[in-house]
Amino acid sequence: MASRATLDSPVKQIQIEGLVVLKMIKHYQEEGQGTEVVQGVLLGLVVEDRLEITNCFPFPQHTEDDADFDEVQYQMEMMRSLRHVNIDHLHVGWYQSTYYGSFVSRALLDSQFSYQHAIEESVVLIYDPIKTAQGSLSLKAYRLTPKLMEICKEKDFSAEGLKKAMIGFEHMFEEVPIVIKNSHLINVLMWELEEKSTVADKHELLNLSSSNHLEKSLQLLMDRVDDMSQDIVKYNTYSRNLSKQQQQKHQYTQRRQQENAQRQTRGEPPLPEEDISKMFKPPQPPPRMDTLLIAGQINNYCQNVKEFTSQNLGKLFLAEALQGHNS
Amino acid sequence: MSRFFATGSDSESEESSSADEITPKAPGTTFTKQSLLLSDDEEDTKRVVRSAKDKRFEELTNLIKTIRNAMKIRDMSKCLEEFEQLCRAFLKSKTIVDKEGVPPFYIRILADLEDYLNQLWEDKEGKKKMNKNNAKALSTLRQKIRKYNRDYETEIASYKENPMASADEEEEKDEVESGSSSDSDDEPADAKSFLKKKSATEAPPPNASKFLKGAADEESSSSDGDNEDWDSDTSESDSGSEDETGRSTSMAVNFLKKTSSEGDRHTSEKKKEERKKRHKRKERIEEEAEEEAQEEGEGEWEKVKGGVPLVKMFAKGTEINTTVVVKKLNEILQARGKKGTDRAAQIELLHALANISNENNLGEGILVKIKFNIIASLYDYNPNLAAFMKADMWKKCLDCIDELLDILFNNDKIFIGENIAEDSENLASDSQEYRVRGCILTLVERMDEEFTKIMQNTDPHSQEYVDNLKDEGRVCGIIDRLMAYLEMETKGSTEEVCRVYLRRIMHTYYKFDYKAHRRALGLQGETKSEQDAEESEGEDSAFIMDRLCKYIYAKDRTDRIRTCAILCHIYHHALHSRWYQARDLMLMSHLQDNIQHADPPVQILYNRTMVQLGICAFRQGMIKDAHNALLDIQSSGRAKELLGQGLLMRNMQERNAEQEKIEKRRQVPFHMHINLELLECVYLVSAMLLEIPYMAAHEFDARRRMISKQFHHQLRVGERQPLLGPPESMREHVVAASKAMKMGDWRTCHSFIINEKMNSKVWDLFPETQCVREMLVRKIQEESLRTYLFTYSSVYDSISMETLKEMFELELPTVHSIISKMIINEELMASLDQPTQTVVMHRTEPTSLQNMALQLAEKLGGLVENNERVFDLKQGVYGGYFNRDQKGGYQQKQGGYNRDQRGSYQQKQGGYNRDGQRGGYQQKQGGYNRDGGGYQRQGGYNRDGGGYQQRQGGYNRDGNRGGGGGYQGQNRGGYQGGGGYQGGGGYQGGGGYQGGGGYQGGGGGGYRGGYKGGYQNQDRRDY
Repeated sequence: MASRATLDSPVKQIQIEGLVVLKMIKHYQEEGQGTEVVQGVLLGLVVEDRLEITNCFPFPQHTEDDADFDEVQYQMEMMRSLRHVNIDHLHVGWYQSTYYGSFVSRALLDSQFSYQHAIEESVVLIYDPIKTAQGSLSLKAYRLTPKLMEICKEKDFSAEGLKKAMIGFEHMFEEVPIVIKNSHLINVLMWELEEKSTVADKHELLNLSSSNHLEKSLQLLMDRVDDMSQDIVKYNTYSRNLSKQQQQKHQYTQRRQQENAQRQTRGEPPLPEEDISKMFKPPQPPPRMDTLLIAGQINNYCQNVKEFTSQNLGKLFLAEALQGHNS
Repeated sequence: MSRFFATGSDSESEESSSADEITPKAPGTTFTKQSLLLSDDEEDTKRVVRSAKDKRFEELTNLIKTIRNAMKIRDMSKCLEEFEQLCRAFLKSKTIVDKEGVPPFYIRILADLEDYLNQLWEDKEGKKKMNKNNAKALSTLRQKIRKYNRDYETEIASYKENPMASADEEEEKDEVESGSSSDSDDEPADAKSFLKKKSATEAPPPNASKFLKGAADEESSSSDGDNEDWDSDTSESDSGSEDETGRSTSMAVNFLKKTSSEGDRHTSEKKKEERKKRHKRKERIEEEAEEEAQEEGEGEWEKVKGGVPLVKMFAKGTEINTTVVVKKLNEILQARGKKGTDRAAQIELLHALANISNENNLGEGILVKIKFNIIASLYDYNPNLAAFMKADMWKKCLDCIDELLDILFNNDKIFIGENIAEDSENLASDSQEYRVRGCILTLVERMDEEFTKIMQNTDPHSQEYVDNLKDEGRVCGIIDRLMAYLEMETKGSTEEVCRVYLRRIMHTYYKFDYKAHRRALGLQGETKSEQDAEESEGEDSAFIMDRLCKYIYAKDRTDRIRTCAILCHIYHHALHSRWYQARDLMLMSHLQDNIQHADPPVQILYNRTMVQLGICAFRQGMIKDAHNALLDIQSSGRAKELLGQGLLMRNMQERNAEQEKIEKRRQVPFHMHINLELLECVYLVSAMLLEIPYMAAHEFDARRRMISKQFHHQLRVGERQPLLGPPESMREHVVAASKAMKMGDWRTCHSFIINEKMNSKVWDLFPETQCVREMLVRKIQEESLRTYLFTYSSVYDSISMETLKEMFELELPTVHSIISKMIINEELMASLDQPTQTVVMHRTEPTSLQNMALQLAEKLGGLVENNERVFDLKQGVYGGYFNRDQKGGYQQKQGGYNRDQRGSYQQKQGGYNRDGQRGGYQQKQGGYNRDGGGYQRQGGYNRDGGGYQQRQGGYNRDGNRGGGGGYQGQNRGGYQGGGGYQGGGGYQGGGGYQGGGGYQGGGGGGYRGGYKGGYQNQDRRDY
């Protein structure tokens, strides 16, 4: 592991067992609903530049009543038990469900950072149950970029720090391609099942899946935009204050210089230097990380919407062509 | 004396309370004594000086007495306290002491106290037994007195040498004190002996001077403020103790006795002075009278009661004529307001005097004069402004005023007026007109106020209230009579007439005229009750109001009376559903503009009027007007307070007791209250009828504003309910009805608004219940139809009006008119198909998704603007101030970038607007917009306010450019000038330029203005 830690990008590809996917879906079905989010631990191994996720287990939902519940303890217990039954027990990340793709948040950033800080190859799997329910499995793996890792390590979220690191919302997360792999036996089983299945083809391929989805996305997007506006206003205020103070400082020093010059001509000793920084306390700069996250989230929503609309447009064209063909 | 206040806690010892009883009595008793002694004028001149001295000294002796008492019971803390008071009192009387020398009794107490303390100090065992407080007090007191006595060493030494000499003098005092203390024992025997003693001790002059305490009180009160308070307290306690059973009789007797004898002696003394030169015989008679009085004082007590002593008001054989009576009257009046004067007795005296003058046929003039004074002293009876008259007093007062009016009516030779001077009065001669000083109007006004006070202080749910309210008839009767009196020529000035008219109006305006109402309804009322019809022969209150108010409008010169009259007039109109008159009067009076400068009672009246106006509008079906009228009162949530119908509890911390008292005095009596639930219900229902269709119409409008905050609040409260049961309260009913209406379900809405519960709670309170209910049903149907069309128009391609008619049970023309109105107002994108009687939807309303997209676009616009501002700031600060030369090129490039972005955004916006498809009118607008960038922005603003931000942006940009241009050279400025034009208006550009005019960074200045505007704008939108 230590040798791997030095690699630039320890994980180039992720290979997920079908079991893991099913377990995640099941977890959400059973426990998550609406905006609630479910989370769990991923287990697996790193093989060359490929991360193989072979198993997972959910974090238990715990209410506020049992506050003394020890999550770490639970995880350790769980992993030990898994080890006993000879399952991969190496912690390689975590998964989380999402509501209309709204997952870019401070909490996610923080926990992913701590994961990645402790275990280099950690990933976070984002599972979108709503999109999945529409027919296409939506599962994405993300890692923090090395740049972001650095910033998080230094905890420098000021505007200057971010500028120095040359980080934008595009460079915060990197997506890692996913491959779902099943064992041959399962594949065989699948074939067999498909042969036997009597279920009629009810593929709703041309379903535009209503505008509900789009509306929801827009709603969320709007909320984010509002947040963004607020942040910008905050930042504006800050910079205005800053510039005002800069001017004051400037004036002060100038006055001081003039006075000193006068004193010199009169042969008096110059006034003692005072600590300017003490006199002018710079205003608290607003943390920029949140803005960045919001931007990332907005970007995410946009991607979603784009994807959704392009699919729908495709379907529309398809339908049109079919209609034309029929008539 | 101030000791009373210092220790004025519940834990007063018995002793001190007994001391309280003594002190107030003392002046009264000494009063009698003194009157006998003053025999020549010399005494009179000395009065002031002596009394001041004696007053001080008595204060001191009282204190000394309590100290001695405390010494006896070894109460050291009490001793200390009293001693400190004594020192203070002594300091106060320093001027007198300087003149007269240190009084021996003072030295005596000092010496005694020191001895006593030393003795105690030596007594180690006793000291141990003392409790902690006492021991502490002892040591402090000892130290104090040591220090204090140093100043009086010589005097104390001389006293110690010869204690007897000083003690002699002291004896006298003690005697007096014991006398006064025995007085408080309430035992008749004691009192008798006391009286005797008084006559016995009448000789020594020092005692005599004591008396003047009462008389001289006024002079000395300026120097000693405490005393006055003290007085009122004692008198209150006196009157209170009168109520006590058992004791009370003897007390009262005691009292009467004293006053009567006091009166006797006083009179006799006066007469003596007056007629000293005339006759010795008279003097003898008078002495006899005196003796008799004395005898009486010692003798049977029964005699004292009732009229017996009052007959004695005049000496036997005195010719009772006007002058004598007037003298007597003045005499009685002089005691008015003074300490120790018994007000009840005074009233009795005045009554007696009136009887005497009646018996002796002294004429109406004097009677009127006495009546005036009786009424005045009745009002005086309660020294406290907040307290209200007792029932018997009140009855007496009413009777008196009635009698007075009788006299005035029967005898039109009597002139009364405030302006008649005391000496120009003519009370005696029958030949001329009587002239009497006094103002009956003021008395009646005061009576009216007393009535209000009584009503305020009665529990509104008791039988007592009803009984009291019955007096209103009498009050009104008196006012009516007074009105008739003043209306007579030469009796009252216009000003007075206005005042009395206002009183009349105040008693009329809030009463619903049922008789007139019934008459207006037609015959069926008359057939029902014949006698009622006869009764209602009297003028309609509307006519009366009209006549009185118009007189006031024409004649009044004080603004307040006119304002009140207008408000009452409006109220009366509104109460009787004369909406247009009421509204016009309100609008013409322009009271809304300046009512905030009026005094609180008028403001309360104004609020009441507005509320009544709103309710009237509601009854008439003017929902919008009703809502507007009630908005101010209801939105604050303090309707109760604003209408003067109760105090809010939450204000308790904010106001002190004094303010609370004032506020309590402003409260409107219960029988004039406006039902608050009715008020709220009317408001909420009006809000519902306005708000629900509005909400339906603007469901997706981001800038939608609330019509009624309170209504929304209620809705939210309703939504928050975890479990929704059937509605109970009025509010719940309205909320439930609103929900039904939102769905266009008018039947449910109707059943929620009009049902048994609501009828009994609200609707039955209206005089024309049925009409109101019918109006409401109709309104609900109409508004539900509108709501339905707003909400579901997107579902329909077309809808038959016939169907709508059936759904909402409205007539076809009504449906037709409502839909037409909606189409004209561009609320509904549809057209009417005449032959088939259907509404064809144009389907131009954006879907919710489109709406959302529009909203998003708007928000993004805001975001872009904000973002630009960040950049502008940078430009301004760094480019404009620090190194503008170097950054010039960069800035220009940036400017280009900005402009591009903006342009594209605008186009987008324009596109949206064009897609907005609000009918042909807007299409044209769109076309207009397409003409040019600059105008496009302006057009955006015009259309839906969405462009306002852009304009704002333009402003902002201009500001920047103005600043930047100013410093960065002409060529650039010119280029940007074009931009400024595009931004939409030279004025804005000018503004920006101004902002950038200063040396300190043009960008900054311009930015500030723009930013502020933008922020406000945004704020408003969110709201």
